[in-house]
Amino acid sequence: MERFVQLAVDGLATGSIYALLALAIVLVHRATGLINFAQGSMAVFSTYVAFAFVQSGLPVWLAIVCAVVGSFVFGAFVERVVIRRFEGGSHDVAVVVTVGLFVLLAGLSGTIWSYNHREFPSLFPLESVSVGGAHVGLRNLGTIVVTILVMGLLQLLFLKTKLGLALRAVSGAPTSAALSGIPVGRMLMIGWGLAAALGAVGGALVAPKLFLTPSMLDFVLVYALAAAILGGLDSPVGAVVAAWFIGVAENLAGGYIPFIGDDLKIAVPMALMFLILVIRPQGLFGRKQVVRV
Amino acid sequence: MRQHAVRILAIAGAATLALSACGRDSGGGGGDGDGGEVEASPGITDEEITFGITTPLSGPTAGPGTCTVAGVTAYMERRNEEGGIEFGDGQTRTVQIRSYDDAYDPSRAVSNFRQMINDGVFGDILSLGTPTNLAVMPLANEQEVPQVFLTTGASQFSEDPEANPYTMGLVPTYKGEGEAFGALLAEAGEPITVAVLAQNDDFGEDYVEGLEAGIDGSDVEIVARATYEPADTSIDAQVTDLADSDADVFFNANSQHNLAVQSLLQAQQLGWTPRVFLPSNTSSVSDVLEPGSADAFPGVYTTQSAKDPNDPEFADDEEVVQFQEDMEQYASNITTTFVPHCAWSYAAGAALEDAFTRMEQPTRESFMEAVRSIEDLDAPMLLDGVTINTTEPGVPPISDVEVTEFNGEKYEITDGY
Amino acid sequence: MTTTQTSPAPARARLSEWWQRRWVRIAAVVLVALIALGAPLNLTQYAVYQVTMMAAFAVAVLGLNIIMGYGGQVSLGQAAFLGLGAYVSAYGVTHGWNIVLVFVAACLVPAVVGWLIALAAARLRGLAIAMVTITLPIVGIPLARRFDEVTGGSGGLTVSFMQAPEWTGLATDQWRYYVVLAVTVAFFLLARNFLRGRMGRALAIVRDNESVALAMGVSPYRYKVLAFTVSALYGGCAGFLYLVGVQYVSPETLSFATSINILAAMVIGGSASILGSLLGGVYYVLVPFVAGQVNPSRAAMYSGIILLVILFVLPGGLTSLPRALRRLRRRRDDGPGTRSTAAAGPADDGGTQAEASSQTERQQR
Repeated sequence: MERFVQLAVDGLATGSIYALLALAIVLVHRATGLINFAQGSMAVFSTYVAFAFVQSGLPVWLAIVCAVVGSFVFGAFVERVVIRRFEGGSHDVAVVVTVGLFVLLAGLSGTIWSYNHREFPSLFPLESVSVGGAHVGLRNLGTIVVTILVMGLLQLLFLKTKLGLALRAVSGAPTSAALSGIPVGRMLMIGWGLAAALGAVGGALVAPKLFLTPSMLDFVLVYALAAAILGGLDSPVGAVVAAWFIGVAENLAGGYIPFIGDDLKIAVPMALMFLILVIRPQGLFGRKQVVRV
Repeated sequence: MRQHAVRILAIAGAATLALSACGRDSGGGGGDGDGGEVEASPGITDEEITFGITTPLSGPTAGPGTCTVAGVTAYMERRNEEGGIEFGDGQTRTVQIRSYDDAYDPSRAVSNFRQMINDGVFGDILSLGTPTNLAVMPLANEQEVPQVFLTTGASQFSEDPEANPYTMGLVPTYKGEGEAFGALLAEAGEPITVAVLAQNDDFGEDYVEGLEAGIDGSDVEIVARATYEPADTSIDAQVTDLADSDADVFFNANSQHNLAVQSLLQAQQLGWTPRVFLPSNTSSVSDVLEPGSADAFPGVYTTQSAKDPNDPEFADDEEVVQFQEDMEQYASNITTTFVPHCAWSYAAGAALEDAFTRMEQPTRESFMEAVRSIEDLDAPMLLDGVTINTTEPGVPPISDVEVTEFNGEKYEITDGY
Repeated sequence: MTTTQTSPAPARARLSEWWQRRWVRIAAVVLVALIALGAPLNLTQYAVYQVTMMAAFAVAVLGLNIIMGYGGQVSLGQAAFLGLGAYVSAYGVTHGWNIVLVFVAACLVPAVVGWLIALAAARLRGLAIAMVTITLPIVGIPLARRFDEVTGGSGGLTVSFMQAPEWTGLATDQWRYYVVLAVTVAFFLLARNFLRGRMGRALAIVRDNESVALAMGVSPYRYKVLAFTVSALYGGCAGFLYLVGVQYVSPETLSFATSINILAAMVIGGSASILGSLLGGVYYVLVPFVAGQVNPSRAAMYSGIILLVILFVLPGGLTSLPRALRRLRRRRDDGPGTRSTAAAGPADDGGTQAEASSQTERQQR
């Protein structure tokens, strides 16, 4: 039983890492209708900026706050200067533009800070607590808690605030939104800015565990994408639940099914996701898409 | 209409004539002429010799990859500034190094290799990675182009010089390192249980194979096994499973710094504190042991062949000081952080110099002969007692491994388990 | 395209008029064919190899175009089909199968896999298909490592096949080039017929509006399955051609990064365009080379910059170059007073103008 709880809790921690990036992806999609392949690279770049602040002497929490604010500006800037041009057109083109951004930022990070692993200080100490017989590191716990917090905040933003409503209006019906007087351009910039800021938080949170390197979130991005899509691409709660599901299912499969073992354990959540999507094509928490003929 | 057909034919005819006028030149001169002057291989003139390195310069393995370029560049640039190296045929030449990024993709490595030949390099050195070098190996040997001092511990590159005469590794094989540690355990003469965490590729598999060879016939037993993918975000689950066995030794065939640290931390958190083995790539005090709080473990072992400039023991060591100076002066635009590959690359520079001094003709064959006759070269940045020796077939140039133990501050040669 | 202005127009009108004439087009094709056939005799080994790989990846990009550009579905798993085709080819070659059998297997095995996946996935909404295709490289790599008796495991498989036969008098790299060229041309022609015919039109209707398609009696499900199967078949063929060039396959061939690069090449070349697929193949091989020439340590960064610059200037991909030039000329001709409705300039208030223009662009194709 202990082993089960341990594997499950570790799975939640890993899943939370995917979830933080998935939330940023959901935010961008909700606000602008695009999938941002550069989300991971942007988050890593922000974390490097925080790292630079830390190296210059700032306390960790302050460095992270500065990086988050800077990332908001950077995200808004990227939307206005790079992405805006492609927003009304083909989605495929916009996605590939984000791919280009991904490669560019990763290369830039590597050029400025080298490709070797750097240690990033954590906000949480290195101890662990006992939860139901399992040992949970405080850092892992911190990641899980922050994930829940951010998910809650995003959900609040979209459902209860005027800003959230405006963001949804702009992505769902841009012409009507513009006609109603919503500054569409500014909303798009805010959407990207928030997502970048979120990415910075996520990056700073996981960097102590993953070690800072330009490709730190490359593989996390793939799972985050899968989680975001499974969750319905528009639901923060869905993305987090899906990400946790991936983390826990893969650990349990690897731990309890000898045939699967460690190397094929990732296939299990993937296969299950496929089944779920066949039964429920809009994802766990997505809305059914109604298309006007 | 017939008019049009005539016009089309005319254009076609003119084009064909134009195209057939240029023919392609057959590959540049190589091999021996009969009697008299020997024709130089491509990539070498009376003034300089050019080598190429195809290695990951971007992506997850770019840290070690950039070091494979940096070390030898630092070594050679200093020699170049001092006027060059005197070769065995009496000419003094400078050494040019060209690097190509393959991002650990074998098809790009093949493409880079072909490009290198097209660009007229003399040989391929220090390339990092196993699948990338495996893809290039048949091509290099078919074209008779040196593919030497490869930064990979897979055994395929050194084990069969008959089949692949132009290919040679550099660093100790993963199998060799695993076996050295296995032998250490076996020598203890007592029953020991081992839990194995191995990377799911040739790196991990070879380490485990070596370990198994080393403990064969003794009372040492592997009681738990787990694998992980290099791309994994977390290996906490694997460590949990291994901790269940409560084994005496944790054999951690891990090439990822972050995962190595994770495994050390997770083991501690679970209350499992075995003795730990880490591979030479992934055992740095500052990068792995300190973040991983390794002093919680009764013993941390590794195999080492190179000096770590971050180790205070070597702060005044001549070689290390020179190395730091050269890296600062000539390679700081390539990288400013250290991993063992920088040291190996630098040492390979010395091996190349040694081969050059005994190279009597400006040909690739002569080079390979010289490379395969390096005897006990005391190359800089290798630990005292570790030498480069290519006269023994089937083993890589650096094959001595010392099993060392962490004493709280640094690694030192161990007395035994 | 009549114009009342006299001086600047005639030269341009003459050029496009010339192109209308059939014999000019045939001459152009003959010229291109001669260049393609004569190239390996005049280029270095390395250049011939590069062009061979361009052809192989062009087939992969064409396959992706069939499901994405023409079919409107998102597929991020093309590398998995390429890798599967390469592995099947490597297996066949090492077991001494007849080369034709190897080729057929390399095309059919991925096609069957694609067909099975599509049967289940084609009912899903757009992005769910994307997710399913994401899983292909993710699961493919550990599978390739696991079944190492067949796949060679992490070390991959080295092969040596398709040497030039004696009677041709060609060097091996030239022979391989011709074989790859022949297969590529054949597959491109097949695709052209497929896409310009009834199938292609049905696909276009399904892509643009599934409900309308249903109402017209065209089954979206069936055509999506068909498109996905064909796309996988092309991926497998590309895998065979890849193996001819590289003579090595390993789990790295299946990576997600390769899928993304093929996608980028498709968009850069031009979506839903045969010529665009060819240009995509050229781009795929050329960009790392060009970026590496600028600075090997910064090659990754430069390839990102190149990609962004191309898309900024030509959001429709490289095949939209003539269109973009025409628009530029028209704007210059029309003078400062008129505003061209087809311009896709950045709008300050969201993408409504761009949206309208991109729709007209689609119809223009």
